Amino acid sequence: MNENKVAAMFDFLFKKEHRVETLIFEYMDTLKLIQESFLDAINACLEDEDHKCEDFEFLITQTHKHESRADDIRDEINNLMYSKALIPDSRGDIMRLIESIDMIPHFFERILFIMQTQRVSIPDFLVLDVKDLIRISLESCDLLSKQMALHLKQKLGIRSLLSIIDTNESHCDHIERRIITKIFDSDLDPFVKLQLKELIITMGGISDQADRVSKQINIISMKRRV
Amino acid sequence: MLSLLGGVFLGWSLGSNDASNVFGTAVSSRMLKFWVAAVLASIFVVTGAIVSGQAGIETLKGLTSIRLDQAVISSVAAAVTVTIMTLLGLPVSTSQAVVGAIMGIGILNNQINLGGLGKIVACWVGTPVGAVIVSIPLYYMVAAIYNKLNLNLFRSDSLLRFGLIAAGSYGAYALGANNVANVTAVFVGAGLITIFFATLIGGASIALGILTFSRPVMETVGKKLVNLDPFSAFVVILAEAITVHIYTIIGVPVSTSQAVVGAVIGIGIVKGVNTVSKKTLKNILMAWFLTPIVSCFLALVIDFAYNLHYIPPQ
Repeated sequence: MNENKVAAMFDFLFKKEHRVETLIFEYMDTLKLIQESFLDAINACLEDEDHKCEDFEFLITQTHKHESRADDIRDEINNLMYSKALIPDSRGDIMRLIESIDMIPHFFERILFIMQTQRVSIPDFLVLDVKDLIRISLESCDLLSKQMALHLKQKLGIRSLLSIIDTNESHCDHIERRIITKIFDSDLDPFVKLQLKELIITMGGISDQADRVSKQINIISMKRRV
Repeated sequence: MLSLLGGVFLGWSLGSNDASNVFGTAVSSRMLKFWVAAVLASIFVVTGAIVSGQAGIETLKGLTSIRLDQAVISSVAAAVTVTIMTLLGLPVSTSQAVVGAIMGIGILNNQINLGGLGKIVACWVGTPVGAVIVSIPLYYMVAAIYNKLNLNLFRSDSLLRFGLIAAGSYGAYALGANNVANVTAVFVGAGLITIFFATLIGGASIALGILTFSRPVMETVGKKLVNLDPFSAFVVILAEAITVHIYTIIGVPVSTSQAVVGAVIGIGIVKGVNTVSKKTLKNILMAWFLTPIVSCFLALVIDFAYNLHYIPPQ
């Protein structure tokens, strides 16, 4: 008997579980949209030589909109959990996992808010490194989405993705340190140096969080084996 | 028919205590609503009692010849034993209390079927041991099927939840089939009712206990098993049900609580962890010795009191 036949036998009995599954995939799709808006917003500033960041405000609003949608989906998942969808073990695992993943959009928003409210612009000598840092961090987020899908579909490959995300995290740490060193070696105003340092540390937080979530998925997946 | 009230009381206390062994995990972990569990348990207890309860009744009624007044006394002695020991927080088994009380009456009648008694005592020891033996291969077998299905998180959860309900229902069936003899066998022995009526009344009184008073026990006692992962909890309940069912076929009422402990030990052996404390094992040993002795003693005391006659001074 294959998985689909077994699933069909029980789906009509467990509608809440089916809804949770749909919502988690919806959440991951929304995460991708937040990522895209965030990248567009960052690029709008990094690639603008006049540092006017023309579409920045609009893209921040877009990112915030997607982030609010993700929060709504997360709340709906939690409500279903509180109404006894899934068995208690899985309930706790899924709630903690979604909570951890939800930290990533918060990092995106925080970065954009720092740039918006504190009027921080990236100096030209840092642009390449920052782009690198963002590219690798977002790659980790993409891999994390794939890992989550593998976990939910009970497919192989979770550990190999964990290893790539872990490598990416170390890489990001190196870039983060390099950028901070460059900032403090420069002639920038000390106050701007501190602002930039805060921004870079927040950017570095994305890959750290992706790594934490990836490890969490791996543990949950191992725990489920009998 | 009023004489049956002692048996009904015993059945009620059995139902309120032992339902937790079959549906406790699902209810206390909120995988299943109490009322759904209680109704399912009641239906399957009555079905089990009617379909497979005869063998146990035959064994218990064959332990000694008994009169109707003695049937009531043994029933009351067993019920009082269960109540006292529960109130004192001591381990207790209804099956062992009933056999102890029947032995008390047998001593008074100077007539005990030692062969039958030997079979029962051997089965008491064999209950946790049997559950250990059943649970180990069962775990490997069910795990192999479960892993082969390679279900995703949601399907696997649905299957486990369904499995817990199915195993709980089977456990309730085995509980009714096995323990109905404790409730009404003495009345069959005394010639008051037929075996079919005994299974019906016995099953119904156990179901009454489940429906009216099992909630607090189910919600607290069941938590002991929740510490196990859901898959292991499912295997424990299934192993317990199979073990109790085997003893039902043999025709000996046994303790479902002791079967659960045996199954939990079995899972501990498979996983290489210590799942049961020494205190729990000590409690089982105490229940083996203490419950029949207290119950036998109470049956003797109640019978003595019942037969006291006032002789007016000459």
